[in-house]
Amino acid sequence: MNLLTRYFRINLVVTVSIFILASLAFYFLLWYVSIRQVDEDLKIEQREIETFVRKHNRPPEPISVRDQNISYEISKAQKAYRIFSTIPSPNIDEHENFRQITFTLSVNNQWLVFKVSKSLEGTENLNRSIIIVSLITIVAILLVSLLINRWQLRRLWKPFYTTLSGVEKFRLGEKAVPNFEQSTINEFNLLNNTINQFIRDAEKEYFLLKEFTENASHELQTPLAIVRSTLDVMIQDEKLTEAQSNSLQTAYAAIQKMSRLNQSLLLLNKIENRQFSDVNSFDFKTLVEAKMSDWQELWQGRNLHITSSLGSANISMNEQLAEIMLGNLFSNAARHSKEEGNIHLNLAANVFEISNTASDGPLDPEKLFKRFSIAGQSTDQHGLGLSIIKQITEVSNSRVSYQYAQGNHIFSVHF
Amino acid sequence: MKVLIIEDEKALSASIFTYLNSEQYICEIAADFSSAMTKISQYDYACIILDINLPGGSGLDILKELKKSYKAEGVLIISARNSLDDRLNGLNSGADDYLTKPFHLSELAARVAAIIRRKSFDGNNNLNFEELQLDLFYKTVKVKDRAIELTRKEYDLLLYFISNKNKVINKAAIAEHLWGDNMDMADSYDFIYTHIKNLRKKLIQAGARDYVKSVYGMGYKFSRS
Repeated sequence: MNLLTRYFRINLVVTVSIFILASLAFYFLLWYVSIRQVDEDLKIEQREIETFVRKHNRPPEPISVRDQNISYEISKAQKAYRIFSTIPSPNIDEHENFRQITFTLSVNNQWLVFKVSKSLEGTENLNRSIIIVSLITIVAILLVSLLINRWQLRRLWKPFYTTLSGVEKFRLGEKAVPNFEQSTINEFNLLNNTINQFIRDAEKEYFLLKEFTENASHELQTPLAIVRSTLDVMIQDEKLTEAQSNSLQTAYAAIQKMSRLNQSLLLLNKIENRQFSDVNSFDFKTLVEAKMSDWQELWQGRNLHITSSLGSANISMNEQLAEIMLGNLFSNAARHSKEEGNIHLNLAANVFEISNTASDGPLDPEKLFKRFSIAGQSTDQHGLGLSIIKQITEVSNSRVSYQYAQGNHIFSVHF
Repeated sequence: MKVLIIEDEKALSASIFTYLNSEQYICEIAADFSSAMTKISQYDYACIILDINLPGGSGLDILKELKKSYKAEGVLIISARNSLDDRLNGLNSGADDYLTKPFHLSELAARVAAIIRRKSFDGNNNLNFEELQLDLFYKTVKVKDRAIELTRKEYDLLLYFISNKNKVINKAAIAEHLWGDNMDMADSYDFIYTHIKNLRKKLIQAGARDYVKSVYGMGYKFSRS
């Protein structure tokens, strides 16, 4: 739930319940006051009857008009009392109530009970009108205040939402620091400044770290070149024994692995720096077929069975990156296949799939694309191949996913 | 033929010097910007191996100077930066080729040989080694004037061997040369063996001597003796 909805919901519940309570209280108060008014009128009737009795020493004639009834009878109780009560209309077809005063009076030593009732029709009508008018006013006030609130709050919180969407669009390393507009509200300015500072620091750290990796990799190239060329010179020696040659071969392999690792790190950096920016539109099928013919003999050497069903797929991507990605997918599939396993390639208009018979169980999809985190590494593998694939798909607006099905690892690139 | 090695890392230039210096090339070393400038103004070289980052200046400036004085030297840039910009800058300012560190010396020698051939044999595309004749333009091979059928890889392999004759070439260097460095299947070099076996068979069948020798499972050597 967003902030404003939440605020409006609370606001609505509180105001509506206050208004309901207030209306109820108002209604009962109004009712109480008007009943008291009617009761006062009835008391006046009582006094008039008493005056009449005192003057004439007999009860007045009972009169019944439409909204007032006077009647009397002999009382059972031999004492004075007075009761007010609300009774239904004596006329069955009328709905409004009557207010009745019941009192006793001694006339010629006989206790008589008098009942004077007055119709409440007028009072009820008045009350109803007052309540209706107040309810309409209340609802109107409620609506207007809600609208004003909503408009005002939206206006007030606008800088906050602008900041929020700026932060949301921000990606570390893309060098596009969001531009927050100045607000008249101090808190928002403080928030913007804090976020800005935070982003600038993070960017700085990020670029320092990236520069460090890049420089470290570059600095490693020269020592690697020295070691490798020294080895190249050493193996020219005709007096080398077989044991020495084997040791040199071990050193060669290690240097080979290290320079590949370094190259991969540099490549990742280059991709991150978006140094492969020129994008062409081409048929991915042509590229897959070319790569397949490159790999034919390597696959044959490992007795892998290759099947493919390739359709046309026109994609927009940097061709060099597409080639690197494909190479990595191929070598990954070949590397993790068991001897005499199957590799199947499938290309449709917007997806390329490569599946291979797994030599072990499913891989952990969480860790799979992270650097240096492939489970069950073979010794000359550096664990960057899949991160490179992921990085390439990320800069090319495509997506790579992994599945394990029926003993096959399946990698899919969705264009 | 004289080759100038402009490289500030003494250990690296010494290795290059040892590997290249032979009956074919006479090598010289310049370790910084000013001595390199002095050498190129005084002598003519068949090929210059040029590092970009030098004490005292940039290798690219040396390249500009060479172009300004209309020197005909072929230039091979060797750089630790394999960034696209360096490569483009280098090739745009007139370098003939570009090699990223770390490289195999056999690859360097092959590139140097190719540059020198391009620069010095105008119109002549033939390369001879004993009874072998290679036509570099049509990529064909003759043994004692009889053409033999080689695959593209076998031809590349033979040319690579000839450019590194009398040298032991490591298997990894051969694999990288034939398949490029993106081919990350380094755990097995069996596929190289197949190509070498086929090449040898074809050459011997056509009446050539067997020049390819295997060296302790480490690599191969192509030589007369």
